[in-house]
Amino acid sequence: MSDEISEHPDRPLRGQILFAALFLICALVLLAGIEEQTKWLRKKALFSQPRFWPAVGVGGMVLFTALHFWQLPKKPRTLPRWMREADWFQWAESLFWAFAALSLSLWLGPLRAAPYVGLIATVRLAWLFTHWVDRREFKIWLSVFEWAGWFLAYVALVPILGYLPMTLLFAPMLTWRIGYRDRLMLWISVGFALFVVLVFKSFLQVKIPGAAIYEYLPSALRSFFILNF
Amino acid sequence: MDLIYAFLEQIGASSSYLARWDVALALFVGSVGGVLIGAIPGVGPAVAIAILLPATFSMDPIVGLTVLLGIYGSSMYGGSIPAILINTPGTAVNALTTYDGYPMTTRGEARRALSLAYSSSFFGGVFSVICLIFFAPVLAKIAPMFGSREIFLAALLGLILVVTAHHKHTLIAAAMACFGIWLNTIGLHTASFSKRYTYDQSWLSGGVNLIVVVLGLFALSQAFTLLQGDDEKVRLTKIKGSFFQGFRELARHPRIAGVSASLGVLMGMIPGVGEFTAQFMSYTYAQKSSKRPEDFGHGSSEGLIAAETANNAVPGAAMIPLLALGIPGEALTAMMLSVFYVHNVIPGPQLFQNDMDFVVALYLALLVLNVLVVMFLLIATNQLIKVVKIPNRFLGVCILILSFVGVYSLRNSFTDCILAAAFGIFGFVMKRLQLPVVPIVLGMVLGGIMEVKLRSAMARVKTPLDFIDRPIAAILFVMIVLVLILHFRRVWLDHSKRKANEWSTSHASTSFPAILSRRRNFILTERGKKVRGKRKTFSRRSTDKR
Repeated sequence: MSDEISEHPDRPLRGQILFAALFLICALVLLAGIEEQTKWLRKKALFSQPRFWPAVGVGGMVLFTALHFWQLPKKPRTLPRWMREADWFQWAESLFWAFAALSLSLWLGPLRAAPYVGLIATVRLAWLFTHWVDRREFKIWLSVFEWAGWFLAYVALVPILGYLPMTLLFAPMLTWRIGYRDRLMLWISVGFALFVVLVFKSFLQVKIPGAAIYEYLPSALRSFFILNF
Repeated sequence: MDLIYAFLEQIGASSSYLARWDVALALFVGSVGGVLIGAIPGVGPAVAIAILLPATFSMDPIVGLTVLLGIYGSSMYGGSIPAILINTPGTAVNALTTYDGYPMTTRGEARRALSLAYSSSFFGGVFSVICLIFFAPVLAKIAPMFGSREIFLAALLGLILVVTAHHKHTLIAAAMACFGIWLNTIGLHTASFSKRYTYDQSWLSGGVNLIVVVLGLFALSQAFTLLQGDDEKVRLTKIKGSFFQGFRELARHPRIAGVSASLGVLMGMIPGVGEFTAQFMSYTYAQKSSKRPEDFGHGSSEGLIAAETANNAVPGAAMIPLLALGIPGEALTAMMLSVFYVHNVIPGPQLFQNDMDFVVALYLALLVLNVLVVMFLLIATNQLIKVVKIPNRFLGVCILILSFVGVYSLRNSFTDCILAAAFGIFGFVMKRLQLPVVPIVLGMVLGGIMEVKLRSAMARVKTPLDFIDRPIAAILFVMIVLVLILHFRRVWLDHSKRKANEWSTSHASTSFPAILSRRRNFILTERGKKVRGKRKTFSRRSTDKR
């Protein structure tokens, strides 16, 4: 974060606008669905209503994120030259958003349309105030999906291949992937995998089911493996 | 005399909880494990507790809580080692230790700094436990005065304090707390048997599990951060000699140690405040009252004592709101609360009235733990500092493997793992943007408490003033109002200061690039429009081809 602050003192911090906009969009989508997703019961006090606390949560999310978004340092992006120079484009764009907001209000009523209007405004503002640093930051966020994928693949394969075999495979493979190619580190990762399985499954007996592959083991070994590995 | 006799009798009764081999083993594992985890920068007690939580569900409550309490209480001892030796705090709360600890190392006093950190931490830890043991009877008398509305107000105060403690990120912290409140509402509303935000998905009807969220936000996000980052090269200093000299030096600063420990206990008791405020208050006090304030930040022994004593006095005190009212003040105690619920031990006034032995046993465990940790550190520091060398990215692999145990063993659910991975990615983004995640966890826990307590409290309230007609409720309400006033005052002062700075530094010479940029924009937009307008009128004539 500090590199952007020192290099561009007047630039918004990388990713902050994008995060605030995405979070606000999610909050507004939740707010738009509050009527459908929660109930309002007749003859019940306000604080006992099933809708009360979700409304507090979602309402707070919208309000505070909108304020956070508003107070973030912002700088309009440099638009393409034809957009900057064409008056008709700016007019047409403003009119389009105003028309969208108005028609939504007429169709749904002002109260119900408010989240959607907010949504449109957020998308518009996010587009106007995000820069190349935000896009670069967004790519970094996306790159984490690889590690999440490794984790989920590991989780999906444990019930099939077994906790011990899968952990013994997973640890050195991921160690290899992150760049440790020497034998020592790979053996350390295997040792760590073995240690984790022995401590948690064999000693502490945490609830991890036996694998499908264990069914092919001889009956004497099968129950031992299901219980301990 | 009767009081002392009753006190000793209480200690005797509670000791029976600890005189078991499994509790002794839990104490040992918790203390050694906590020190190790604290000494590795990038892991921290939150990650370790999140991973171990489901494993402790199958244990006896006292055993499970002792392990978690051990990690919580001893990680700060371990965290001071890298803070002093390599200027990297092992846990977030050791950040202040680097101010004076590392300069001492650079001038060849690493052993003195470490021994001083150990002795100060030991004093802080023991002081807080002794205070708590003496406070316990008073707490037992006060706790029953807390009804539904008092607990609601205390939870609200905790949430507000957590939000306002995130200075400069208050708005997003408030948004995150609300996100936590909303997360807690997902699923079946038991009072009305209606579904909330389930989108007709069966996996959402049971709600979002707190432990899945905690594991995602703390453990998986940390694993992703480490895997995404680079390894750091660490150069360690060799330390020779014993570590006992710190106790002698600490004895020469009884005032600073006493005040810092007291501040730690006080701040720890208030939900949502915690180590950081305690540390900074005691550090500021030590600096202001010192004969050599200029040494602070350059290797002052008084600064190191203040920081370490205050942060280690907090864990014991943080157990007060948790045990007496069932209100956690921070993420770690919020995680511990789930252990209580799993074992059907409901923290709150009843626990103090009916199961005082259990409460005192927890305090005694904390006391024994401090002794164990300091003994372990005095013997094994030289071997322990080698863990700092574990490569960061490999640590990421280890945390990912351990996180699987935490999430999957909970319900053997693949959906939980997907949810935890999603929260892991969310936590990773938050970490990169340096935004707070703790309010989400506290929002979830305190939101649930507030919902139940407000519903039951409002049944007997006719006018709004009835809500605060009892003395404790009135005090809590005044505290909430005071906290809010003080917060808005600080925001206003910061705003005025920023504006004043902007005006005082706006010289023409310093903003020269900005002037150029504005000039360029003006030429491209406003003036450009005029010029193009003029050219348009001329060009119309010129287009006539003959």
